[in-house]
Amino acid sequence: MLKRHNGITNTEMALFAIILIYSIVVGVVNSGFFNIDTQFDIIRSSSYVMVLAMGLLVVMLSGGIDISFMAMALFGSYTATKILVSTGSSSILLAFAISMGVGIGLGIINALLVSWLRLPPFIITLGTSNLFHGVMATFIGAKTYGGGRLPPSYSNFGSSTLFKVHTDIGDVGLSTSILFVLGAVLLTYFLIYRTTVGRGIVALGNSEEATKRIGYKPLLLRIVAYGYMGFLAGCAGMIYVCQVNAVYPDKMVGNELMVVAGVIIGGVSISGGKGRILGALLGIFIIYLLNSTLIFLGLTSSWNQLFVGAILIISVAVTSYQEKKKNQKHLIFNVSI
Amino acid sequence: MKCEKKTFEKNPTSLSYVAILLLVVFAIVFGRAMYSGRNLSSMAFQMPEFGFVTLGMMLAFLLGGIDLSIIANANLSGILAAHILTGQWLPFIPEGMKIPVAIIGAILVSAALGSFNGLLITRFGAPSLIATLGTMTLYAGIGMAITGGKSIVGFPEAFTRIGIASMAGVPIIFIMFIIVAFLIGFFLERSRLGRKIYLCGESPVASLFSGIHNDRIIFIVFTIIGVLAGLSGLTIISRVNSAKVGYGDAYLLQSLIVCVIGGINPLGGRGRSIGIVIAVILMQMLSSSFTIMQLSPYATKMIWGLMLVVVMGLTRESDRIRRVSRRISEKVGIAKRRKDC
Repeated sequence: MLKRHNGITNTEMALFAIILIYSIVVGVVNSGFFNIDTQFDIIRSSSYVMVLAMGLLVVMLSGGIDISFMAMALFGSYTATKILVSTGSSSILLAFAISMGVGIGLGIINALLVSWLRLPPFIITLGTSNLFHGVMATFIGAKTYGGGRLPPSYSNFGSSTLFKVHTDIGDVGLSTSILFVLGAVLLTYFLIYRTTVGRGIVALGNSEEATKRIGYKPLLLRIVAYGYMGFLAGCAGMIYVCQVNAVYPDKMVGNELMVVAGVIIGGVSISGGKGRILGALLGIFIIYLLNSTLIFLGLTSSWNQLFVGAILIISVAVTSYQEKKKNQKHLIFNVSI
Repeated sequence: MKCEKKTFEKNPTSLSYVAILLLVVFAIVFGRAMYSGRNLSSMAFQMPEFGFVTLGMMLAFLLGGIDLSIIANANLSGILAAHILTGQWLPFIPEGMKIPVAIIGAILVSAALGSFNGLLITRFGAPSLIATLGTMTLYAGIGMAITGGKSIVGFPEAFTRIGIASMAGVPIIFIMFIIVAFLIGFFLERSRLGRKIYLCGESPVASLFSGIHNDRIIFIVFTIIGVLAGLSGLTIISRVNSAKVGYGDAYLLQSLIVCVIGGINPLGGRGRSIGIVIAVILMQMLSSSFTIMQLSPYATKMIWGLMLVVVMGLTRESDRIRRVSRRISEKVGIAKRRKDC
């Protein structure tokens, strides 16, 4: 398994091919697609989801799933903003720290519940997702913070760029949030390929019994996996809030399944133990590419779900079918419904 | 026959106690507001559309799977029926035939959508969670592409009358729901196929090796789930008098809660349809009490989420206590027998 992160898998080749062909089609129909500002805009708007996808990848490697990440991201960023506004502080670092801390706490709650209840994590985290969002809006606040009330450091950070390029429509820059994506990718790479805990998480997704016998504690591994998800969710929430430069009590929540779909398209297995960073990133990228370019093809955004659903079904059907054939050949009868 | 006892011994008796307790509490707290004729009948009108969805979710749970696409399926078949009813599609159908054609068409389409789920799960071996996640997105996407997100209105009056008609004060759609729930319960507990569903959910590998065609059973069950979704979709458009994508998205969480409260084990093989009926009624009463208390949507959300977690926790702890007490009683029995010798 350790060797597998070198090279590139079939799924990822297929995704690359899809992205390439689709880009050419869109570019031929509408040359505006190849403008640098379109590209930068896709990167900017997808960056917070890419960060989330890294956390989701780790949780899914552990054999679980977490769909409460949007609620955690909202909880974290809302709490951080409320504290900042009420204390009059404008430190963006403090906001990130609070948001991530809240995220870790909520993630650990998820891990404890999953370990305790022994039921499908999808159902458990669907419950906690509603619980977190409800608790936040009921006990912390349900007011909207507009741009005027937020610390100026938010919008400064949200609109900051690494470098600028001169184009016809003015200067466009690559958003700083790409650094967070890079950071999340490197951290995740380090966690799952270079630490014992990370290897334990992957092992847990393959076989809980075997992992226990080697001497890992599944509870601790789950706490790390779900806590890491919460940590990245807190970070992603702040990135989103800074980009939008407003905090709404009902944004973000409701888009969970699109992110899950992206990660699954990227070849991450729902039964755990299999999945790669590059695949997850490509899967999310495809969804955002569709999201922001269907309009170039003359289709309204209402066609978005149709395409995402079709790609998801095809990719699920192909990967599951290969798995099924392999299992049949090896006389493995683990029927999963 | 021991197995049969075990499957059904979890008679929802504890649930009925809770139900009666809650009814009394509601009577004391809300009194008139809860038990007025108007509120009771409005609850009975709202229950069936959600009830059909939940029965479908129960069937998926019994197999140890899940079906996320039920609501998208209901909306899509509702949209199809709406197109036929308003004459936008198949305009050559005579006026009098529109309603039966729309109803039959919607049921057929929903069965096909359900069996597509079954196909993905059996033929391609996709886990039901991601297979139905995909079809949920796809069905909602098809609905969006057809309607563009707008709602379709203007059905023939004879059709909307089905949704609001009542017989002796009881809504017809509610009677339909009870009949369907009874039929499903009967079929699960008395037919060979029903028994196989429980076996397949309890342990798919064991059922495979005892000569049961798992694939066939899964396919049939997901087709039935599709039909239930179609019934829900027809009920919705008839009662609300409009069809659109995204109606009743909150039902997904609520149907999971109802299944867990109703004693259906998400891991498969345990639970009865009567539990679902009681739990659906309880859920509707809770929902109604939230409306009377004028809770904010966020507070409602919080309570649903909390309920799901708490109920799962209680089920787990009560199972563990039961297991421990059984072990103790077994040990005591052995000790006694030794003494007798």
